[in-house]
Amino acid sequence: MKKMFVFLCVFMLLGSLAFAGGAAETPKGASDELGGKLLIYTSMYDDVIEAIDETLEDVFPTIDIEFFYGGTGTLQAKIAAEIAAGKLGCDMLMVADPSYALELKGMGVLEPIMINNAADLAFDYDKDGYWYPVRISNMVLAYNPGKFNKADLPNSFYDFAYDKSVAGMVSMSNPLTSGTALDTISALKDKYGYEYYTALGEQKVKIESGSVALTKLETGECKLIMILEESVLQKREMDKSKIEVIYPTDGTIVVPSPIMSINDQWSPNKNSKAAKAVTEWFLSDEGQENIVKAWMHSVSSKYPEAPYDAIPTKQILENTIPVDWENTVALREEMRTKFQEAVAKK
Amino acid sequence: MRPSTQLAPPLMEHRRWFSDPKWIIIILIVGFLLVFQVFPLLYLVFRAFFSTGTFSLDAFKRVYTYPLNWSALVNTLISATFSMIFGVLIAFPLAWLVGRTNLYGKKFFRTLFVATYMVPPYVGAMAWMRLLNPNVGSMNMFLMKVFHLSSSPFNIYSLGGLIWVLTGFYYPYAFITISRAMEKMDPSLEEASRISGANPLTTLRTITLPMMLPSIVAAALLVFIAAASAYGIPSIIGVPGQVHTVTTRIIDFVYIGSQEGLTDATTLAVFLMIIANVVLYLSTFTLGKKQYITVSGKSTRPNIVDLGKWRIPITALVIFFALIVVIIPFVTVALSSITVNLGEPVFSSGNMTLRYWERIFTRKSILNSSKNSLITAVMAATFGMVISCMMAYLLVRTKIKGRKIPDFMITVGSGTPSVVIALSLIMSMSGKFGINIYNTLTIMVIAYMIKYMMMGMRTVVSALSQISPSLEEASQISGASWLRSMKNVTLPLIAPALVAGWFLIFMPCFYELTMSTLLYSTNTKTLGYELYTYQTYHNQQTASALATAILFIVFGINWLLNKLTDGEFSI
Repeated sequence: MKKMFVFLCVFMLLGSLAFAGGAAETPKGASDELGGKLLIYTSMYDDVIEAIDETLEDVFPTIDIEFFYGGTGTLQAKIAAEIAAGKLGCDMLMVADPSYALELKGMGVLEPIMINNAADLAFDYDKDGYWYPVRISNMVLAYNPGKFNKADLPNSFYDFAYDKSVAGMVSMSNPLTSGTALDTISALKDKYGYEYYTALGEQKVKIESGSVALTKLETGECKLIMILEESVLQKREMDKSKIEVIYPTDGTIVVPSPIMSINDQWSPNKNSKAAKAVTEWFLSDEGQENIVKAWMHSVSSKYPEAPYDAIPTKQILENTIPVDWENTVALREEMRTKFQEAVAKK
Repeated sequence: MRPSTQLAPPLMEHRRWFSDPKWIIIILIVGFLLVFQVFPLLYLVFRAFFSTGTFSLDAFKRVYTYPLNWSALVNTLISATFSMIFGVLIAFPLAWLVGRTNLYGKKFFRTLFVATYMVPPYVGAMAWMRLLNPNVGSMNMFLMKVFHLSSSPFNIYSLGGLIWVLTGFYYPYAFITISRAMEKMDPSLEEASRISGANPLTTLRTITLPMMLPSIVAAALLVFIAAASAYGIPSIIGVPGQVHTVTTRIIDFVYIGSQEGLTDATTLAVFLMIIANVVLYLSTFTLGKKQYITVSGKSTRPNIVDLGKWRIPITALVIFFALIVVIIPFVTVALSSITVNLGEPVFSSGNMTLRYWERIFTRKSILNSSKNSLITAVMAATFGMVISCMMAYLLVRTKIKGRKIPDFMITVGSGTPSVVIALSLIMSMSGKFGINIYNTLTIMVIAYMIKYMMMGMRTVVSALSQISPSLEEASQISGASWLRSMKNVTLPLIAPALVAGWFLIFMPCFYELTMSTLLYSTNTKTLGYELYTYQTYHNQQTASALATAILFIVFGINWLLNKLTDGEFSI
């Protein structure tokens, strides 16, 4: 008995040494005004969250801000289940699909927040303050110049699906789990019809996340991928990668991701004061600077700089494929199902 | 042993059933399983037929007339069946070689093969994706160069590739089960055969194999169920090649996010459940009974077969197998964890980094998930072992009626696909019926226990059945109380099995993915889910570092326990 107890103790010790080392929470000081907890569901990548989280800790030392990440689709499934159960798990949402903001507003779970500098926003926002765009993600194409020539590859979304020279060596994200991917297939359906999905299926496109696809570009397993610009820029800066963005000739798909707060009736921490402060910060110059540092474009017309290695936002906006947000909400399940059917077929 | 405090003195007393602690234990265990296992599963079936409130087969029609689902059903059956066949074909000879022959380095090999059980299978899937992808897979490239082939010999994104990876990561289930049975097998029959002039091979064929049959069937079942209910491997290997399985379809349906999606997922899950139960029924009731006849309770050391002139070639063969199936994938994963650009050799200039390793020890979310997994796995393993010990005592040392009921339920639980357990718990345990444990660690612990308790129970049962009750009786005749003889005689003898059983439950819970994918919430994310998210979403190198760290810890614990028990214990 004693022996066994010792083994278990040794193991527990080992386990806690290996894992629990940094898990201790820092105690929160007494707050004068802002305080409490704030839980944000987001689809931003982990590296981005980590950087922003640290800054937020400095800016709001009294608020205990926590991020929970997942693909937008994953979070949507979670939120649907939570709404059915009568209680949401988050106080704020920073997911990638603007159409979802429209849906949530309609469901009455959002808290209106009025900010002072809304006029500076270069993109649509909700005039009642239910959601604001906070970061621009651009769906583009990318390739590896170390392995292939740009001239030999398709340079448009259309050819991505129809040019047989890249068949079996293309990859994109899953619209079931990613919000930007859903917006993308919505925009492409509007431009090229549902046939575009069939073409993708015949092209044997691989459905996987951006990071997996980037690795496949590096190894040469894929020739061309459909991916968010920010993922490529991040890899270029952080890993000194040579992978390059191709801004599609038929237009970039621009997704202004919203920031939203959940109203007190639904939110777990009922901390709308803190939510307002965090929203204002994200839309301030300082917040936008952090967004740009995190390889996304700013939503503010007053913030002229583009992220590392990107072309200016204005230039991107000159050639885009528009997304019909209302339609994206209405046809979400239909598009997801049709897409699934098309690409899952052998 | 926990029940000790309540258990009665050894003398046979006549009393009412309700004052017999054995019955109380059975009722407690059965009660637990009824509430958290049987009821949710029945409710799941109910929901599939009554999704709209009234009886309707619409969901069934919708789901089963959809060609994609059909191909997923077929793929699941084919991949699970072949993984089962290959898994047993690999595990049986390995278990025999490692357990019953004078193979070189057999202890090392044993640890190595069992170690695969300790590694998250989806990590292996990533390694194989890198090794055998048809365009630039490094093993493919190597084979093309050596054999001057014009195209890649293998394509991992295929049904064959799926079977290969499933086999490579689920044969340890069979290996563990078969090894254990071999260790407790009565060797006198084999000796008799040898003395009568049969050569080792004939003995193996005519004595060992038939005696092992029930265990082999049990092992096959475990592999089949594990392969049929895996999510990680099919989602990484199958889906990119348009090879869908029932699990990937179920999780897709859940992710569509609508009520209809959930109903479709449920309906599809019912199929998996039925398949699993049929397999379980067939194996338990056609062969299960034999087990008690062929395996004696005596604890004798099995005799060791001398491989003679085959010793070196067979060892070489085993090394080759270990190299391909275990070492190369593990090394691939470990190397990925220090490579910046996976398209370049790791040793090229500036391509090596420790930053991913730094991340796994500094990222808040990783640390939190590790903590959650540690807590849930320790709890599941500990509670699981408490129940296992009670069950083992009831099964081996008592003849009480009804002791087979909880045994049967635990077996059904472990035979139920993970995704089905998780779905059924979500639907029934989120407040609708008075219990709301959704989004808590408790629901995870319960799910893990239902799925993995059997591995622990079987280990304790087999250890206890090797110990002759005469030892306990001797202790009691000498005046020791029941409790005291348990503590001084039985417990020390089965202690290694207790630790091993604890680990057999702990490890798969520690990195569990399929159930966690459905059950996690904001503050109950687990390591398995985290690892999978890193692997498929954030950054593969970080995932590789995390997986390698888990591997080191597993080997470290194994080594330490081995040292502490003077070789008596190894996983």
